[in-house]
Order: sequence, then structure tokens, then C-alpha cells
Amino acid sequence: MATGDKLIEVRDLKKYYNRGAIKALDGISVDINRGDVAVVIGPSGSGKSTFLRSLNLMEEPTGGSIVFDGVDITKKKVPDGSGKLVRLDIDRHRQKMGMVFQHFNLFPHMTILQNMTLAPVQVRHMPQAQAEEKANQLLKRVGLGDRAGAYPIQLSGGQKQRIAIVRALMMEPEVMLFDEPTSALDPEMVGEVLDVMKELAHEGMTMVVVTHEMGFAREVGNRVLFMADGRLLEQNEPHALFDHPQHPRLKDFLSKVL
Amino acid sequence: MEHFIQAENFGKIAPYLTLFWQGTAVTVLMSLFTVVIGFLLALLLATMRLSRFCPLAFLGVDKEGRLRDGGVLLAVSRFNPLAFLATAYVEILRSTPVLVQVFIIYYGVFGALVTLPKFTVLGFIKFERFVPGIVALGMNSGAYLCEIIRSGIQSIDGGQTEASRSLGMTQMQTMRFIILPQAIKNILPAIANEFVVIIKESAITYTIGVQDIMSAVNAVRGATFIIIEPLLVATAIYFCLCFPTSKIIAYFERRMSRGDRR
Repeated sequence: MATGDKLIEVRDLKKYYNRGAIKALDGISVDINRGDVAVVIGPSGSGKSTFLRSLNLMEEPTGGSIVFDGVDITKKKVPDGSGKLVRLDIDRHRQKMGMVFQHFNLFPHMTILQNMTLAPVQVRHMPQAQAEEKANQLLKRVGLGDRAGAYPIQLSGGQKQRIAIVRALMMEPEVMLFDEPTSALDPEMVGEVLDVMKELAHEGMTMVVVTHEMGFAREVGNRVLFMADGRLLEQNEPHALFDHPQHPRLKDFLSKVL
Repeated sequence: MEHFIQAENFGKIAPYLTLFWQGTAVTVLMSLFTVVIGFLLALLLATMRLSRFCPLAFLGVDKEGRLRDGGVLLAVSRFNPLAFLATAYVEILRSTPVLVQVFIIYYGVFGALVTLPKFTVLGFIKFERFVPGIVALGMNSGAYLCEIIRSGIQSIDGGQTEASRSLGMTQMQTMRFIILPQAIKNILPAIANEFVVIIKESAITYTIGVQDIMSAVNAVRGATFIIIEPLLVATAIYFCLCFPTSKIIAYFERRMSRGDRR
């Protein structure tokens, strides 16, 4: 599914706290190609989430660059079509990057349908009826066609996360970022969320997934990135990485989680 | 020894009932104006306190265009004059007695700086005393409401903002569709409480000659030398204003929270 066509180009990405005393990201360089399912693994505190959250600027990096669709989104000003410097419109780029959070972050004061149609209607000016039709189709696909009128509190964790995924899909993103999407779920609900993600991967969606689900990484990922101490220590296709780890930190990590 | 309350005294003050009705109208009108002024002021103040307006931000960036790691320049670059002014206002208003504020507004601002035309509205509202009253009370409750609104907005989980922004919504859209609807629901009990406080606190404006309920008590005392019974009437009126108000808002609070329950 991977095309070799670069979608996100990350160069020497750095994120420091406390005057550089804490280096959450210490120079990460990686390319995400269209159609990639890149799974980021590593011990906690290794900077996986910070890396993922930097990709759509939920965290502002201290240094380095992120070129998304040909635009360096870490710059405050970027050249427009005619080469004139204009203020970077981060909201426009975020529309193209769907994000799924560990704690779902559904909007509790809205029904499922409202959760899904708000952004397409407000941001993309899609007619309400069209947005609702699209939302209902997506809900059916994830097996929640009958819950459109429910409020988030009425759903289980697994259902909430499936809603969060389709809510992001409503914006028709070019890439989906998953920040530990199954870590807050009861074990019996992990499968239903991973199934939705798997289906998405098979459809060719570009995905960057931070997870502790090694099975998912091995089965669905076409690349696995291993991070520790804010650095990208090893990356490979999953079978090579899991079966023949090179870096001692990776060997140590795998011996603990597998 | 005389009785504390004498039934015939109620009969004696009955002719002055109109004063109480007029006083009640003044108190209610004054509270409504005050809460509107206070709420608008509070919205402005809370926006100022939560703003990210830093005119010296350029000092925090080094020659290569990166944020400095620390130091005096970084601290100076984060100075937000809007937030500073709003915070100073709130702290000063909350740390001084409301009676002092009412006197300063009435004798100071409207006594020396601004001259209001003298006329009466509806035949019993003295404009030149009513306006300083609502301005002073509004300024005072604005400070309290600002803190209520600010804490309400800040109490919304940061994940809500992140989810909204990740969908491409702007900061304004996030505020309007995601943060404020949830924040208002959370702060409604506190705002209702503040409105009830304003009704009661408005009694203080009788000291600058606003003819509210307390002023009616005073007028009746002057004419009849009876004090306890008019006070009891005033107490009953205040209770009848405040108690239903808090109950009505509690009803709406329950209705709005339907999304939170199964």
C-alpha cells in the first residue's frame, strides 16, 4: 500500500522543556509516505506521544521542521502561491490531519451526530443534511448506526473511540494520527477499535499510530519506529524489527513486552 | 415590657405600602441592570485575562527565530498588559468594601467628573442616583463574575480544545461551540448565586439615596417611628425575590445537564 510518495517529512525535530534540561524530542528525522501505516513503539516517556502531537502542532516544537504537503508547518510564515510570505494557517493543515486521542475527547454536550457534523459544517461549510448523511454512513460502517442520537456518556469506551475515529474521518483527512487509541480501554473493547483501524489501513489510509499493541504493529503496520529518550533508535518493516532487533535498547524493550 | 412585634403596627404602616412596591421595583430593576453591566464587564475582563496578547513577544525569540530557553527577556516577552490590567481591576475591586466603591462612584465620579441630568423615571426612580448605583454595583459584580467565568472556562478539560482544534476549528469556533456551552453549564449555579447576591447587595445603595426597599423602610420609620415591622416587610420581600430566583435557575441547570446522565 505504501507508495513512496512523501506526505510528511520530519527533519531534526526537537522539543525541549526547562531550558533544554528535558529533551522530549532530541532530533527526530523520518519520512511518512502516502499509504504508510507507521507504528511508533517505545517505553513510556520516550517521546512517542510528543512526536505524534508535534505532527499537527498540538505541541510546538523547539527546533527542526515538519514539511506536510510541501509546506513547513513549523514556520510562522510561509510563501504562498506567488512566493509572498503569508501567515501560516495551521487550522487549514489540521483539517487534513485527523487525530484520535487516548481519552476519546468526544464533546459531551452534543449527540454523536452533532459531534460528527460540527466540524464539516462549520469549517468546510458542508450542508447539514449532507453532513448527517455522511455521518450516518460512517456510523453504519463501524456498527453504530443506531446510536446517532445518543450522548457520549451513554456509550462504552470502545464505542466512544470508534466514534472518535469516524468523527475525524468526517473531515476526509490525508493522514490519521492515533495517540494510544486503546490504552484507556477495557481489554475486551480493544479488539473492536483495532478492527476499525485495520479496516482503515486496508483502505489505504495513511496512519501514524502510537501504541502498545505489538500484535497490531506486527500485523497491520508496514513500518515500525522504535523510540527511546526522545530519539528514533531503529525503524524497519515489522517482521525484521520484531524478529531481528539490532539496537540493545530495542532488544531490551522487546524482551519486556513480548 | 413591650412586645417585640405588635400587630397593630402593621396596620399603622399599611398606608405606606406604595413605598414598598416602588422600592421593590427599584431593587429588581437595579439588580437586572447590574447583572447585565456586570456580566458584560466580566466577559470583557475574562477575555482580557485569558488573552495571549504579548506586545513584547519579539524579545523572547533569539536571532535564529527560536524561542529562548529562559532568562529575563523570556519573562518580559510573556508580559500581557491586558491580563495585568484585568487582574489588577479584579483584585482591587474584590479587596475593598462595596460601600466604599459606591461612595467613590457617587460622590467622586458622578459628583465631580460626570454630571447627570436630574429627573425621575416612572415617577419614583431618581435617575441621578439610580445610575451611579447600578454603575458601582455593576463594576463590583463584574469583578466577581469575571473570576467565575474564567474558572469556568479553565475547568473544561484541555482535551476538548485539542479535539476541536485537531478537526481544524479555529480558536473562536472552539470557544463558541465547545468551550462556552460546557463552561456556561458549569458556572450557572455560581452566576445564579451572584445574581441573588446582587439583589441583596443592592440594599447598600440606599446610602446614596436610591429609593429601593431599604429606603422605604427608612421613610416609614421617619414618618411613624416604627422600625421592626417595616424591616420584617422588607425581609419578606427580599426573601420572595431571592428564593424563587435561585430555584428557577436551579431548574434550568437540571434541564441543561441532560447530556451528562444516562
